[in-house]
Amino acid sequence: MNIVSAYSSAESVAAAVCELQGEFANLDVKMVVYYASSKYAPEAVSLKMQEAFPAAAVFGCSTAGEIASGKMMTNSITAMAFNAQALSDVEIAVVENLQDEQGVEQAFASFARHFGASMLDLNPKRYVGIVLVDGLSGAEERLIDKIGDLTDITFIGGSAGDDLKFAATHVYANGKSYQGAAVLALLKPAVEFSFIKTQSFNVLPETLVVTKANEEKREVVEFDNQPAAEAYARALGISVAEAADRFMHNPVGLVIDGEPFVRSPQRIKDGSMFFYCGVVEGMELSILESTDIIDDTRKALGEARAQLGSISGVINFNCILRTLELEQKQATVAYGALFAEVPTVGFSTYGEQYIGHINQTATMLLFK
Amino acid sequence: MAGKIKTMIDSIIQQRAKNNPMLEGVIRTKLMLKGIDSKKYTAQSDDDPAVISKLEALVKDLK
Repeated sequence: MNIVSAYSSAESVAAAVCELQGEFANLDVKMVVYYASSKYAPEAVSLKMQEAFPAAAVFGCSTAGEIASGKMMTNSITAMAFNAQALSDVEIAVVENLQDEQGVEQAFASFARHFGASMLDLNPKRYVGIVLVDGLSGAEERLIDKIGDLTDITFIGGSAGDDLKFAATHVYANGKSYQGAAVLALLKPAVEFSFIKTQSFNVLPETLVVTKANEEKREVVEFDNQPAAEAYARALGISVAEAADRFMHNPVGLVIDGEPFVRSPQRIKDGSMFFYCGVVEGMELSILESTDIIDDTRKALGEARAQLGSISGVINFNCILRTLELEQKQATVAYGALFAEVPTVGFSTYGEQYIGHINQTATMLLFK
Repeated sequence: MAGKIKTMIDSIIQQRAKNNPMLEGVIRTKLMLKGIDSKKYTAQSDDDPAVISKLEALVKDLK
């Protein structure tokens, strides 16, 4: 096997990293991506992981739950290692300050130096990017927007979590831990790769147009020139008092060619609605209605398997809101089982990235 | 004045997609996520300065 996944639930960073090192002992490791519970001290986990694989590109982030082959977990570290038969080349860059408008350009300049071509000239069929970003920064839209402006290579990823404490999230690279930052990794896989973007919702006919928004705060003040919460409640035929109870079941989505890019409401304040990702004035959003995550994910994996022929590894960025819904429905075991046959690594995210920044979605990178 | 937005969108898609339909779809999606529905703009559409400003930023990144 050229892609191997493993996990550890050991109490100490040192013991957990030692277990992972043992699991990858038979692989000439070129890259390790890992996701660690917030129970592990950020600086220690990043340093120990880099020290364990000194010749490899090593990067990761903190989580709100971990995913491994066949199971969803908490309080663990899950990791995936690649050798040169799976991965021809990789370069990591850190955007250390998400407020720095030049951050992505500087990261891309380092990729261009490493790969010998500009990010606009590299072939999107041969390269893929992974993005891991501070999940409490509120800066994901600007980041992924800039990435998309500067390259046609697909960047896929997730926002770091902290086990629902909402205190501090971390991204890891080069043996260091960062906040207010993003880790970008540019991969040149030696095998075919593909993507899944799956969300479990039907698109309902009711729509809401954002007529007044505070984009920086992810706040919609008005839909259809009415206070946002009132318009949302009216579209669902419920009272404003009942609206928050419907957020998980009925988020809204920007529907592009029949495919929803989900925007999940977070709370109502003074008639405004605040979201977990950006909403822009003029956007027409459809009301969504949740469907079955297990069935939809199984179908998406089946389609990807049919397209690739086989799957040798999956990196899964699964929204924490999906994880909470799975927990509510006692379906986490069934979800984990969908990935039992394939080396899998992933985590419960505070947001997902694929072309844009989205919610209540699983974005996955799959290798043949 | 009218039609500048459609001209800019067509130019961006032509430069970036290079007649690749898959890339054209991705670029249209990126524009939608910026709040610009490329299919809504025609040669008669008003020159909205806010939309033009977003497109100018994108054109700058192409250089």
